[in-house]
Amino acid sequence: MRADRRLIGIGKAVAVAAIVLWSIFPIAFIVLSSFKPGRDIFAVPPKLLFQPTLVHYANLWERWGSFFDGLVNSLIVTAGSAVLAVAISSLAGFVYSRQKSRLLNGSIFFLIGVRLIPPIVVTLPLFPIVNWLGLNDTHLVLILLYTSFFVSLGTILMRTFIDQIPRELDEAAIIDGASRLTVLRRIILPLAAPGMLAVAVFVVVFAWNEFLFAFIFTATKAKTAPFVLSEMISSVDGVDWGVLFAAATVQLLPVLVFVMVMNRFLVAGLTAGATKG
Amino acid sequence: MTIKLTRRDLLASTMAGAATMALGRAALGQTRTLNALSHLVHQNVLTKGSAGDVIAPWRKAAGAEISWTTLDSNPLQDRLFREASLGQTTFNVGFVVDNRMTPQIAGLFEPLDGYQSSDPIEDIDDIAPGLRRAMTVGGKVVGIPVRHATQALFYNEALLEEAGIAAPPSTVEDLVEQAKKLTFTSAAGAPVTGMILASDLAVFPVMFARAFGGDFIGADFKVVPNREAMEKGLSVLADLFQARALPRSYANTRNDDMVTWLQQGRAAFGVLPFARYAQLNNPEQSSVPGKIKAVEFPGSATLPAGSAMAAVVESWAMVIPANSTDKDLSWSFIKAVSSKAVTLGAARNGNGPVRVSTYADAGFAAAQPLAKIESAALAKARPAFPAFPEAVRAQATFLEEVQLAVLGRKTPQEAVAAIVERVTPLMPA
Repeated sequence: MRADRRLIGIGKAVAVAAIVLWSIFPIAFIVLSSFKPGRDIFAVPPKLLFQPTLVHYANLWERWGSFFDGLVNSLIVTAGSAVLAVAISSLAGFVYSRQKSRLLNGSIFFLIGVRLIPPIVVTLPLFPIVNWLGLNDTHLVLILLYTSFFVSLGTILMRTFIDQIPRELDEAAIIDGASRLTVLRRIILPLAAPGMLAVAVFVVVFAWNEFLFAFIFTATKAKTAPFVLSEMISSVDGVDWGVLFAAATVQLLPVLVFVMVMNRFLVAGLTAGATKG
Repeated sequence: MTIKLTRRDLLASTMAGAATMALGRAALGQTRTLNALSHLVHQNVLTKGSAGDVIAPWRKAAGAEISWTTLDSNPLQDRLFREASLGQTTFNVGFVVDNRMTPQIAGLFEPLDGYQSSDPIEDIDDIAPGLRRAMTVGGKVVGIPVRHATQALFYNEALLEEAGIAAPPSTVEDLVEQAKKLTFTSAAGAPVTGMILASDLAVFPVMFARAFGGDFIGADFKVVPNREAMEKGLSVLADLFQARALPRSYANTRNDDMVTWLQQGRAAFGVLPFARYAQLNNPEQSSVPGKIKAVEFPGSATLPAGSAMAAVVESWAMVIPANSTDKDLSWSFIKAVSSKAVTLGAARNGNGPVRVSTYADAGFAAAQPLAKIESAALAKARPAFPAFPEAVRAQATFLEEVQLAVLGRKTPQEAVAAIVERVTPLMPA
C-alpha cells in the first residue's frame, strides 16, 4: 500500500516535470538565445555555456524602433480592453445574477455561442465595415473587438462571483434606502473585486498577445507588438534570430509579471462556481 | 450674462485668428503623403544602406512624404488585395509578387500604359523583359518590376577544400557526386549534409527539373511538358535523400533552416536567392563568414546544346490600386523608383536590381562579388510557374507528390503521373 502510494507519487512528479519541461523549454530557449551571440544560437552541438551579450537588445533598440511603438500600442489596447470588458461584464453579471427571466436565462446560450465562433469567421466581413466607419488603424477598433470577444466569458464569470454574494445584503441595503446603483457600487462591486480581477487577467493575456485582429485592422498608427514581431520573421531578406528572440523576451515580460502577480485571482476565476455557494 | 470685450481682447483674437488661417494655408500647401504598402525590404533598400536615402530627391521634388506600411510577403499580398477591393483605399502604391498577378488580381490595379505613354519611365526596355512580361496581363501593363530574387547554388568553400574538391560543380551530375562526398563529419567534428533544400516551395524541384530541360508548368499552362526531365529531376532528389545527402528532416525543412544550416557549416550546398549572400557570410550570424560562395545552378551534362538552365526568379512590382486617390503622385513615385539612378542606389543598398544596365555599372560590379554571375543567371531566369487562380493549390499538390518521391514512398514515374493527373484540372480554361 505504501509502496503503491510512493509509486503514484513518483509517477505524478515525473508527469508534472515532463509537462513543466515541455512548457518551459521553448520559453527558456528563446530567452537564453536572446543573450547568445548570433552564430551560437543554432550551433550543433548546442552551446549551453556561452558569453552572454546584449547586442541583440541594442540592435532591437536601434533597428526596430517600431517594436517599441508597438508595445505602447499594445499597452493602450490591452488596458482599454481590460477596463471596458471588466466594466461591461460586471454590470451584465450583476443583472444576470440578480434578475430572473426566461429571456435572460435563454440569452446565456447566446453568450456561450458567441464564444464558440472562430474569430476569422467575422474578421474578414468586418473589414469593409470598419473601413467605412473610418475606424481602420485605430486603437478603438481593437479595444471594441477584444472586448466583444471577451465580454461573454466575463459576464458568465462575474455572474458566478456575484451569485456568491448573499442577496440579503442587497435587501438590507434597499430597506435602508439604497438604490440599485448604490447597491451595485457600494456592496456588490467591492465584494466581487476578485472576479473582476480574474476577468481582467483573461482579457489582458488575450489582448496583449493577440495577432489576427491587429493584422487585419491595423497598419501603422495602431500596430501592436505581435504584429511587429511577425514582420521580423521575414521570408524575403531573412531572420535576425537574436533580435527576434530579444523582442519576444521583451514582449513576454510584462504579461508574465502581471500573471504572476494576479495568479491567485486567476485560479479563483477558473474555479468560480465549482461548488454550490 | 454680459461679455466684456476690450480692444486688447479684440486685437489678440484677431491676430490669433489670422495666425490660424496662415498656419492652415501653410498646412494645405504642405507635403502630400504617399501611402505605400510594401515589404520592409522595399522600404530599406530605398532609404537605408551604403547609398543612403535614394528616394529623398523625389520626396523633395514632389513635395511629398512617404508613409510606409510594411508586412511580410503573404500578409502583404492579402492586405493589398483587400484594400484594392474596397470602394476606396488610402494606399497609393502597393508591391506585388509576380506569381500572384492573375487576371482577376490584375483587374484590381490601374493599367499603366497610359502613364507610360504620357510620362514615360526612363529607358523601360532596360528592365529585364521577362520580369515586365509577368506584369503584363491581357495586353495591359499593371505593374512595374522593382526587385528580383534569382536562385543560386551556394556552397561552403571550406568544406569543399576539406573534402579535396577543387571547384564547385559545373553540371548537376557533378553536384550530386560532390553532395554525396560532402556528407561526412567535418574536421571540426560537425556532421555535414551534402545538400539542404526546403520542402515547402516548388522552386527547388523545379530547378532540378529544369536542369534536365523540364519544368512544372510551362508558359502555355501545360503541366510537366517534359515528363522524362521531371522524372530525372525527382530521381536525383530521391537519390540524394537515400544517400543521406539530404537531411532526414527534409519534409520539415524550411527556407530559414537552409540559411541556418549553411551559416553553421552543417550543409555544403543549398539553393537560395543571390541576395542572401551577405546574410550567409555575416560574421554576427555565421560560423563560417566569408566561406559561403555562389555559382549559377548547373544544368545536366545531357542538356541539348544551345539550351540553358533557367534558374527560378521571383520578382516584385509596384502597382497602383484602381481605387486609390492621387494616382499621379503614385506614378511619379513609381517613375522615380524605376529610374536608373535610384535603381542603382537601391542595388547598392542590397536590392536585386531589375535593370540590365545596373550590372554593367563598374562601381556596382566591384562592390558586389556576385554581380556578374547574378546578371548571367537573370538573363535566362523565369518564374517557377505562371500566375493563375489555382496556383497555390497546384503548388501544394505538386509538393505533396515530390515529397512522396523523395522519401521513397512512390517512384518518380508514379509521382510525375500523379502530378499531371491532379494538377491538370487546376489549369485555367
